Amino acid sequence: MTAATTALDPTVSGGAVALDWIEANGYPTRRDGAWRYAPHKELGALSFGPPVAQIAAMPDIDARVPALDGPRIVVVNGVVDVELSTMVAPAGVHLSSLAVARSEQPELVASHFGHDGDGIRDAYMALNLAFGGDGAVVRIDDDVTLEVPIHIVDVEIPDDSRNASCTGVIIAMGARSSATIVETRIGTGADFGGSNIRTTVTLGEDSSLEHVLLQDVPSSHVHLSDVDVHQAARSRFLARSFNLGASFGRVAYHVDLNGPEAHTDLSGLFFGFGTQVLDQQIDVVHAAENCTSRQSFRGVLDDESTGIFNGGIDVRKGADGTDAEQSNKNLILSDRAEINTQPRLEILADEVACKHGATVGQLDDAAMYYMRSRGIPANEARRLLINGFADQVVDDVGIESVRDWITHRLGHDDV
Amino acid sequence: MLHVNNLTAAIGDKEILKGLDLEVGAGEVHAIMGPNGSGKSTLAHALAGRDGYDITGTITLDDADLLDMEPEARAAAGVFLGFQYPVEIPGVNNMYFLRTALNSVRRARGEDEVGARDFLSVAKEAMNLVEMKEDFLYRAVNAGFSGGEKKRNEILQMAIMQPRLAVLDETDSGLDIDALRIIAGGVNALRNPDRSMIVITHYQRLLDYIKPDFVHVLVDGRIVQSGDYTLALELEDHGYANYVNHDLDDPSTRSLSGVPS
Repeated sequence: MTAATTALDPTVSGGAVALDWIEANGYPTRRDGAWRYAPHKELGALSFGPPVAQIAAMPDIDARVPALDGPRIVVVNGVVDVELSTMVAPAGVHLSSLAVARSEQPELVASHFGHDGDGIRDAYMALNLAFGGDGAVVRIDDDVTLEVPIHIVDVEIPDDSRNASCTGVIIAMGARSSATIVETRIGTGADFGGSNIRTTVTLGEDSSLEHVLLQDVPSSHVHLSDVDVHQAARSRFLARSFNLGASFGRVAYHVDLNGPEAHTDLSGLFFGFGTQVLDQQIDVVHAAENCTSRQSFRGVLDDESTGIFNGGIDVRKGADGTDAEQSNKNLILSDRAEINTQPRLEILADEVACKHGATVGQLDDAAMYYMRSRGIPANEARRLLINGFADQVVDDVGIESVRDWITHRLGHDDV
Repeated sequence: MLHVNNLTAAIGDKEILKGLDLEVGAGEVHAIMGPNGSGKSTLAHALAGRDGYDITGTITLDDADLLDMEPEARAAAGVFLGFQYPVEIPGVNNMYFLRTALNSVRRARGEDEVGARDFLSVAKEAMNLVEMKEDFLYRAVNAGFSGGEKKRNEILQMAIMQPRLAVLDETDSGLDIDALRIIAGGVNALRNPDRSMIVITHYQRLLDYIKPDFVHVLVDGRIVQSGDYTLALELEDHGYANYVNHDLDDPSTRSLSGVPS
């Protein structure tokens, strides 16, 4: 790992603490449950460091991401590209780059970076804290309802130095505010590269956020995504993740339900081909009374791909009246594909309703025969069944153009 | 039109059809009746092409050899099976499914595909036939449908596919009298001189609504008696006991429990 020896971006305060943490604790290994199936050799070959100058040509972004009305922040190799961004936002919505926000909104940024060694979960989070000096900041004032979605696009254009960028995204929802934010991650080229993006979300009382994450980087890339969510009383967080690209695509959510009657609903789809490894690491912490949480993730795994669902529900002492559910359903299309699904429940409170379930299945022979008896050729019937399975997650997405983008990406345009 | 000659079907060591002959002419409606486990549904699936049977004999439809064809090719040749247990397909929109089915068959026949708008009017007409509301089109195929709704969806599909040969496998099972009336009405409306039907049923009740030209009694994998509609009435009075008790040589082969019916 070359990262620790790379010069520290001097503008990220606290970077030294993060690098010290790595020095003391090292990198994750197969023995760490949350990193058990990660390709540690590939990760070790990447250089996570300060932003590098983009050298290859920019891809046609509009052709690669959903078409959304509304403001857009484009981050290229860890640095906001102002020319490609449209930061003009409606009243009560404040958009900026993280680099600018560090001087203009230091208290907001502090919550993103302000980790003493205790808050750091692993070395990749530490690297992001040390080197993720730029990115997107979205702050929404109290009582503001945003009608158009905000789009944050991250573009990775690795050079031949095996670089992986670190990016930070901060989303701060004021009390009683409401918004939809879409994060799309794309990249170019066949060079080995990667991205390490950390999003922190704070939801004020009675606020509501739909957060869509579209991971579609090239198969030569590694993608690490960490979404850290803090919810106040009666807030609602809806996460929809589509973990589709990368050789190793990791989507991690850590949700703290800190205020009573908060609701979190995480759903996601991972769809693996070739030798892809698609990893979902979920932790929902019930730390207040009468909160509800839902996790529902679906995996489709073809060829020699591997899927991971590691879903935790942690009900802290005093979080009485918790209502938590988790489900992971998987469709295995090849006898060489693999799914590793693991629920983790720790319950220390009373009057708790907790449900979890996982299924692994193959295409339903009876359904195949039924469709074929209606004249639908076997390969088309197979496609319809797979898409039918996946679409049940796609249907959770509120924005039609995002749903269209996903179904198109999955290779079908429905009626 | 349809010729079935000396058809046998087995699953592993278990022989279910034991040399069945059937001739169905254009425009004719044939009822196949028989006790549970006699091979009625196996005949239906042998016609439609389900995997898993060892089959001998011949089946030809309009001189084409059906046994040589995959299920989808049989559909393109004009075979339609109304399932006894229609399959639920969560996540697949009924309208999309129906249009894909129709266009797959049209493509296989070298015909033009039907566009979304034209299809909607085709579908609406078919839905009137079985008194289905339009929202059925936008639900997932059979998912959460009641028993009666599933059977109506089968007849809807038949109306859209316009098959040459319709095989209706216990379409009456599990239906109340109103649903039975609607479904029979749909089937009768689809009778025409070019379309043949095989109506498989355990009970005579359905045949009060769908009057067959011929009735066959299927027992232990063979057709043991054929006649006109009055045969169904006799069966209603006497049941299958006569056939089961007298027409079989070896009682040990009659135990067919566990075989898909």
